Amino acid sequence: MKQMHPDDAAAVAKARGGDQDAFRVLVERHSRTIYRLAYRMTGKAEDAEDVVQETLVRAYRQLGRFEARSNFATWLYRIGFNCAIDYMRARPQRESAETDEKLEQMAKSSNGPTTDDLVFAGEIGERVQEALGALSPQERAAFLMRHYHGCSIDEICSTLDLKSNAAKHSIFRAVKKMRAALRPLMEIKQS
Amino acid sequence: MTNWHPSEEDLVLHFYGETGPDEERRVDDHLTACSMCRQSWSELGETLKLVDAATVPEPGEGFERVMWARVQQALPEPQTARSSVWRWVPVFGMAAALAVAVGIGYAWRSSHESTAKPSSSASAAPAAGGASVVRASLTDMQKTRERVLLTALNDHFQQTEVLLTELMNSPDDGRADIDFERETAGDLLASGRLYRVTAQQSGDLQLARMLDDLESVLVEVANSPEHVSKKDFQSLRTRIDDQNLLFKVRAVSNQIHERQKTLIPSE
Repeated sequence: MKQMHPDDAAAVAKARGGDQDAFRVLVERHSRTIYRLAYRMTGKAEDAEDVVQETLVRAYRQLGRFEARSNFATWLYRIGFNCAIDYMRARPQRESAETDEKLEQMAKSSNGPTTDDLVFAGEIGERVQEALGALSPQERAAFLMRHYHGCSIDEICSTLDLKSNAAKHSIFRAVKKMRAALRPLMEIKQS
Repeated sequence: MTNWHPSEEDLVLHFYGETGPDEERRVDDHLTACSMCRQSWSELGETLKLVDAATVPEPGEGFERVMWARVQQALPEPQTARSSVWRWVPVFGMAAALAVAVGIGYAWRSSHESTAKPSSSASAAPAAGGASVVRASLTDMQKTRERVLLTALNDHFQQTEVLLTELMNSPDDGRADIDFERETAGDLLASGRLYRVTAQQSGDLQLARMLDDLESVLVEVANSPEHVSKKDFQSLRTRIDDQNLLFKVRAVSNQIHERQKTLIPSE
């Protein structure tokens, strides 16, 4: 997890007292980081922006519950992940029904360009984002928290309100699915 | 070399450093000795390196400024919140969804009844003419259903508004008697839950969230003792105020009224 920004504590204290300018400082400091998290979770720029907005509004309303000794960025991440999960769960059911099919197609599509082509075209990034998009919201959140944000299993459990085994299994399933989806790219790379 | 091989799960935990020192050493030793597991380990590492290659497209330069404008609009301050009323209450999608669902259910039942027991006039009607009559009556029926639903929603939010107003304006000099509020909150809970679930299912997240906030207050009121201490009463009011619930309920009511006006049948 990120280290506490030295000025966050002061801004949080003022924002808790209703100072919106102080909250603006926090929004401007952290919204880009939350955007990256939200983009990885949702896979769409517009959806990510909605999640960032909701995260920040929810954070403002919950400032009273923020413990001063905690890390504001970490606290905000937690809200962000939960907002993204809520957002994704509210999406039409058909999107999640397509998930397995999408994964299968990705695993089968071994005829593709060379590694160099893929790298230059930025296709690896797109394929990874597609593979992430095929995970369930909980798997995706647990995996992203572990892989990109270096959260421990305990932190994942407390953020997503999961038991230790459930958090681990979400990560296992996510890694398994990512491996299956990215196998064609690995084969190209190895050849 | 032993018969033991780390599972895929063991390797994932090892990769992320989630094993204890003894287990870590055990897996490391095994990987040094076992080429098959080393191969799996290497594949896992290579795949997860690919994941790192996925970069997120950065938002534009003015992103922080735009985001602040969006956030500020949604913060609980009456002047700015009032201007965003139209944006945050997508109640009609839900109303229409419910109305259509009810309408479809009704049409389905009607068609089954008519298949099972065709009336003489229906069987005599030409097929094409019959279809247009059915379409027209279905549209009318959907409008009627939507009107009925909006009336029910309107009642729900009006009662909620009365309840919240009572709570916000009652004198708090000592122990408060909230018998009436408790009863009303209990009555409103069941219908509120139904609307919340429907709003979630139809993707109206903001409305669903508002109904969720409202529900937690209703639960608290319904389960309160007959006499509430001054401290608890003030804490309840602060919650209603912080979440801007009264304002939101009024906004939804206004939206419903507007929608009702558009559904008044022309003579």
